[in-house]
Amino acid sequence: MDMVSMGLLAAMGALATIAGASEDLESDVGSQSNPNSQVQLAAQVGHTHRIYNKAISGEPPSNALYAALAAVTASVLMSDAYGMNAFFSIAVGSLVAAVFNGILSMTSYMGRNTSQARFNQYVYLDVLRSHTTTIMAHAYITAFCVVAISYIMTAPWLPIQHPFPLPVIAFTWGIALGAIGSSTGDVHYGAEREFQQYPFGAGLNAANSGDIVTKGEAGLRSSIDNAWFCAKFGGPVTGLAFGLIVFLDNWRTTIFDPATQGWYAIATGVLIVVLLNVYNRILEVRSKKRYGPYPEYAGDIKA
Amino acid sequence: MSVAAGGGESKIDKTKLTMYGLGGGILGIYLAHVLNMITGTGYFSFLAGLGAIAAIVMGADAVRRVCAYGIGTGVPSIGMMAMGMGLVAAWFGLAVAGIAGPIIGIAIAMGFGYFVGMLANKIIKMNIPVMEEVLMSLGGAGAVVIIALSVVVSGQIGYEDMLNDVVLTGFIAVVFIAGALAILQPFNANLGPDETQDRTLVHAVSTGGLAMFAAGIGSLITVGVGGAVLTMLIAAAIWLKAFLWYFKLVKRDSAGVVGTGLLAEGGL
Repeated sequence: MDMVSMGLLAAMGALATIAGASEDLESDVGSQSNPNSQVQLAAQVGHTHRIYNKAISGEPPSNALYAALAAVTASVLMSDAYGMNAFFSIAVGSLVAAVFNGILSMTSYMGRNTSQARFNQYVYLDVLRSHTTTIMAHAYITAFCVVAISYIMTAPWLPIQHPFPLPVIAFTWGIALGAIGSSTGDVHYGAEREFQQYPFGAGLNAANSGDIVTKGEAGLRSSIDNAWFCAKFGGPVTGLAFGLIVFLDNWRTTIFDPATQGWYAIATGVLIVVLLNVYNRILEVRSKKRYGPYPEYAGDIKA
Repeated sequence: MSVAAGGGESKIDKTKLTMYGLGGGILGIYLAHVLNMITGTGYFSFLAGLGAIAAIVMGADAVRRVCAYGIGTGVPSIGMMAMGMGLVAAWFGLAVAGIAGPIIGIAIAMGFGYFVGMLANKIIKMNIPVMEEVLMSLGGAGAVVIIALSVVVSGQIGYEDMLNDVVLTGFIAVVFIAGALAILQPFNANLGPDETQDRTLVHAVSTGGLAMFAAGIGSLITVGVGGAVLTMLIAAAIWLKAFLWYFKLVKRDSAGVVGTGLLAEGGL
């Protein structure tokens, strides 16, 4: 393990942390993934709203698209035929991805709200203008970081030299990032921010589906308010999760040469998973002991 | 599963859509191949892109039909499944059948879809009446889209060349995911009790334009600048036309498209 590999590893971890945070905030501004069904239901249970509602499939496929598209554009520009510098190629690729994101977001917002016409849900053009650009900006950062990680893994002049082509690596990281954003950060928005009128940490009771907060501190709540809230915890924690995954996964193949010490790398991976599981279990038990059952909890209900 | 996935009545018949989707797709693929071969250029690759759009419209309608049974969060999954079936069958067809590869691939994908649908209904007992027929359409649409977008990138049908231009360059990633999103996004974005078929299908044309544009970017280093730029320009024009048409339909169908304002009656 040389100093260059260690430095690249640190850079990848840092890029992944930024990508995770921006990906989660991007999905929060647009209420993508699981908080989306609550926004979708809100109008149906009588709460029309001015919240951005984009459903570009789940987060994993949509982020796979942005990452793969940015990577394809970057690898075309970087090829011998065009010979553009890697940094600028990735920047242009991310721009293309952000534009695709903006287009898909706009049509989702318009389509979903239009399909709630019988519940008097309007399509607000000012929401579209102000939020789409915010979403695109976050998507740009995400795509740039993911493609940069993939480039570090595949570039012929850097030590890792992964055998897969750049777009395929970016595609895979895009899916991983979307899955982590969906499972880690969305809880903060979907279960807490949308249901702020219920006790903190109470989870989502099925009977409260769609009963989301649609009013802000002053006036009506906008999705940019939601990004502001999620930037305090949900976004950073997603970044930390994705950063750790990229860092730890590459760390084990950096300290052990995959060609000659493959089994050590695999064993280290298994050890990390076991340790994290034990840590999670301890955390769960301690939280339950410290904070106890919710005030209204009255024991298990017999079937 | 989201409540009230919805889906209004179908004005355009599914048989007609399937016919146009498969026919248009196969015609586009072969025309692009033959005209590129005859002229020795890559200028006609865009024809395969047009074929892909036809198949995307057919696929989007199939997603719409099956998802009207209340599959909400399953919309992306079913799109991925379509492309998965299409990908395996399409590349198998191309590998074994040479110039007849696309037709063999599409036929296998449709058989594959029918079989998966039968498993879903008979073994898992989902009991969705249209499952077999819809998965057959989706498998076919997936295969056409994969082959057509791959032909946009490589400019011709030839297993070796397609492998070099599409798979080894990694462009298959964007062919797969842009094609999948183009099929699943139209219904997913318009899901709700007041969804209408024409709005969803016009949206499918616009996402098809985007997928064609994405494949066009890849073709910049495979078929050459002329053919790639032509593909991208035509894709952008199709997208723009479809997007404006879609916006018109949004204005027709929605409770109101307003510049700004408070909530409608009953919201406050």
